[in-house]
Amino acid sequence: MSLKLLFKDELKGFYKSNVMMFLWIGLPLVVMLFHILTPNTGDIPFSIMTALVVSTLGGTLAAIMLAVSIINEKEEHVYTLFVVRPIKRKHLLLSKFLAVYTCLAIATVLALMLGLALDYFLGSLPPEGLLSDTLFEFALALSMIAVSSAVGVFIGVVSPSVLVGVILVIYVGNQLSALPMLSISMELSISPLLPQVLGFFGLSTPSMFLWVTEIPGSIRFTFFVGMVLVVILLAASIAIFHRKEL
Amino acid sequence: MEKTKSMRLPSVSEKEPNYNNSSLVILDKISKSYRGYKVLNSVSFHIDKGDVMGYIGPNGAGKTTTIRILVGLLRKFEGRLQIKGIPVPARIEELNGMIGYLPQHVSFQRWRTVDHALKTFGRLSGLDEDILEERIRKVLNQVHLSDVRHKKIVHLSGGMIQILGLAQAILHNPKFLVLDEPMAGLDPENRYKVKQIIRELNRNGTTVLFSSHILSDVQDITTKIAVLNRGQIMHIGSMDTLRTKLHSTNDIDIVLSGKFKQTQDLTKIAGVKGVEYPQPNKLLIHLEDQVNLDEVSRDIQRLLMADGYSIRSFTPYVPNLEELYIRFINGGGNQ
Repeated sequence: MSLKLLFKDELKGFYKSNVMMFLWIGLPLVVMLFHILTPNTGDIPFSIMTALVVSTLGGTLAAIMLAVSIINEKEEHVYTLFVVRPIKRKHLLLSKFLAVYTCLAIATVLALMLGLALDYFLGSLPPEGLLSDTLFEFALALSMIAVSSAVGVFIGVVSPSVLVGVILVIYVGNQLSALPMLSISMELSISPLLPQVLGFFGLSTPSMFLWVTEIPGSIRFTFFVGMVLVVILLAASIAIFHRKEL
Repeated sequence: MEKTKSMRLPSVSEKEPNYNNSSLVILDKISKSYRGYKVLNSVSFHIDKGDVMGYIGPNGAGKTTTIRILVGLLRKFEGRLQIKGIPVPARIEELNGMIGYLPQHVSFQRWRTVDHALKTFGRLSGLDEDILEERIRKVLNQVHLSDVRHKKIVHLSGGMIQILGLAQAILHNPKFLVLDEPMAGLDPENRYKVKQIIRELNRNGTTVLFSSHILSDVQDITTKIAVLNRGQIMHIGSMDTLRTKLHSTNDIDIVLSGKFKQTQDLTKIAGVKGVEYPQPNKLLIHLEDQVNLDEVSRDIQRLLMADGYSIRSFTPYVPNLEELYIRFINGGGNQ
């Protein structure tokens, strides 16, 4: 119950903040500006460029916002009033992460739709490749901002001051959030992996999971790397936060 | 675990506390150390249902540490703590909604409005949506913050935020209210307001523990006080017993009709330890312990009158409560 309540609360707090206003309105504008300044992006579809801009810029901003928010609230003993009530400490962090991630996902969708529309009307993306490319771009952007947000939470929990937190987010956060991009260069085809693993144990792929094998390997790899990083970062943040005297 | 070997001062905490069935809170030999420094040293006391207990001590005495242990914020400590018979922190979740807490430095997320903050804390304390609205209205009325219900917290003054802290603590109608320095930083009007609220809550059956380093804050509303110094309990009991314990008759306050010219050295009189001159016509005579007060008084009066002074008043000096408390704390409570 407390996670749902805190998530709604944090969402209310974040979506009205100046940073979110910039992400929701500013990011699509940045995409437009990018298109005007760099109309020729070579072979790379404009929507992919949009995804990269959105996920790096938006991800960094979100990570800074999360880290600063957690550091400030820790310093001001805001959490004291929460943890004396029957709630789980991890819900405080998870609600922040989910709220920022949700806001960013919406901003990403808005910016990507604009990028795709530009691609479509400019003819830089063939209609037959639209769905798979869109899926990949979306997966990439979502994975990168998830990692950025998790980095923001982690740095917020461990950092002793806002200044240190911001420096860490800029230098460490960006590097980590770029990891899901590995799939672009590696083009790993792991589609047959699931049936092979199951086959090794004499099992067949359950029909409900067949759709997974249809997803291109690069998308799955992007999601996989992103999820692993997010789980590690959030688990570490929760463990440290649990031991902290608030 | 405890590295500190501090000198053991005689204190009330050495005695076995007098627990009974009406005890709501029992602290039994609670000790807490930070990096080898003992902040609390075998603190024992109990709070009965319906008590308003003042927890007094100078800054750094260990009041906040005790309170943080009581509300479950500090989980590692030595000793035994029970609230309503439930061991804390092991089963603190069973006390769900029973405790209200105002921390020393209360702070809220800045983007919230007063109403939004109270709604969140009310829901997290287990209040149902349908009664929450009415409860918030009632509590804001009680603390005189109804006018700012829809204002953002960032726009409130420090005093208002402190009062809002009290509002969130009493919102779920707790049976046991723990207030850490609730009157610190408040103006006289708000101090009075907080005292009135504590009285009202107590009348309605709430047991209250509140800390302060100012004795006068607690003297007119507490049923019991505990004095803590350097992590040890120096006194537990009513304000009257503390007053009796602290009261000293070894000083004499003399007011002359004219200015005292210091022509005579009053310390030459047997039994006089020292003399202070708080005002030109006023003398404060400090006497030795175990002196014959009548004899010394007679000698002082004789000397002054022989010098031609006219004595307007000659009374045993009764320091105010604050002075006695400071003397008590500085003397380690061994008076």
